[in-house]
Amino acid sequence: MASSDEKPLPTPASAAGAGGAASPGQPTTVASKVLDMGAAVMQSLRPVKQAKQHVCTFALYAHDPKRQVETHHYVSRLNQDFLQGAVYDSDAADARLIGVEYIVSRKIFDSLPAEEQRLWHSHAHEIKSGLWTSPRVPGLLEKPELDHLATTFGKFWCTWQVDRGDRLPLGAPALMVSPQADPAAAVRPALVRKRDDRYGFSTEELRAARADVEVPAEEHPGQADYWLRHRKGFAVDVVPHDMKRHAPFP
Amino acid sequence: MASSCHNVEVPVPGKPTETGTALLETATGTIQGFAPLGQIHQHLCAFHFYADDMGRQVEAHHFCAHLNEDVRQCLVFDGPGADARLIGVEYIVSEKVFLTLPDAEKPLWHTHEFEVKGGVLFMPGVPGAVERRDLEKVCKTYGKTIHFWQVDRGDALPLGLPQIMMALTREGQLRQDMADCVEEKFGVSFQKERENRAYMSGPEHGIHPLANAAGKGLKTQIREVDIPASTTAGAERVFT
Repeated sequence: MASSDEKPLPTPASAAGAGGAASPGQPTTVASKVLDMGAAVMQSLRPVKQAKQHVCTFALYAHDPKRQVETHHYVSRLNQDFLQGAVYDSDAADARLIGVEYIVSRKIFDSLPAEEQRLWHSHAHEIKSGLWTSPRVPGLLEKPELDHLATTFGKFWCTWQVDRGDRLPLGAPALMVSPQADPAAAVRPALVRKRDDRYGFSTEELRAARADVEVPAEEHPGQADYWLRHRKGFAVDVVPHDMKRHAPFP
Repeated sequence: MASSCHNVEVPVPGKPTETGTALLETATGTIQGFAPLGQIHQHLCAFHFYADDMGRQVEAHHFCAHLNEDVRQCLVFDGPGADARLIGVEYIVSEKVFLTLPDAEKPLWHTHEFEVKGGVLFMPGVPGAVERRDLEKVCKTYGKTIHFWQVDRGDALPLGLPQIMMALTREGQLRQDMADCVEEKFGVSFQKERENRAYMSGPEHGIHPLANAAGKGLKTQIREVDIPASTTAGAERVFT
């Protein structure tokens, strides 16, 4: 029915349809905005307020690492070993929600069964190379945290493949992987340059500044970064299947 | 914070946040920008069930933003509190936009008409008269929900594959224990709201036959694919 590695049919919802990158639809009406504002005053929206870090980095599709995207993670910490983040395609108000990434410590990663570990990627290279950035945060401030984050592992599901021009979230969710030293996992210089120009920093300078960030002895423990070793990526399929039901559906 | 209505609360493994980390995050939380999150203005509570198992139901807290009048995007948490787990996402589109989706895509989307008219989808903390003005629009929309964390089966971590979720489409699907628990927790009455929402109507063209998994079920599976050996990027220096 749908696969993360399958191109969607040309329709208004995908790139080949009506032009423009923006999602189809009318601009938000004043009435909706007023309703929104009214609700926002009455509701606490507490879970959303827990996001305290904005990370701008890059991700690659697990079924096709040559496809790469700049990602913006808005991260909330549940405890010292676990973070959860909503991922967007930009840092602007009209950013599209493109997925979710979970970040865990090495300790939690080690506790995962092998089959589960295959879905996770390491962060050491991404951080050391300066690809992972915290916009607006001074280097001195972020340094202690980077040492810690360099030992973490992420699991990132992408629900909207904006880089292929989808104007809506189409298809099956896709697994993402992280940039690595391996040439097959390199981020295109043009993408990096575009990001750097926008923020006025230099990934190469960041990389020099992070020379003393300790890379863990074991960069790819267990089944982390599975694709690098086996040269096999993962695609997700959504297939028809019986639904256990206790009442008629739909 | 009241515990969630979908059974066993398994704590997320890990040590309590260290002071240094917390201080750093207080700083970054103040210095950095969070514009995409700033668009989130609405909290909706509803129920999702797994597209291959109607009996596995989840109390889903949606925190939604408008991308435009016809498209919303929501973060789905398992509760309304500060310690809530981010368990998935939902996209909500108008009927007009839904109809532009390829036919193979439509089954992944579900309708909202029943849960809105049934009173089981609500905005916590917002008086009926106010929430109804938006819910009458939501009533006509279609949603695509994907969950990553199966909290209802007691997973302490977001394990496994993403799950396509479905929404209630008729009487008799919602588990009584879930309904009672949520009504009590939030001090709402689904029956009362059902009466108040009787005037609302669903999609103009009726519920599309391909929506709601086309009445069947869905599940996700993962497949290994070949990755080509590293290709040279021509003259471009490879950035590592």
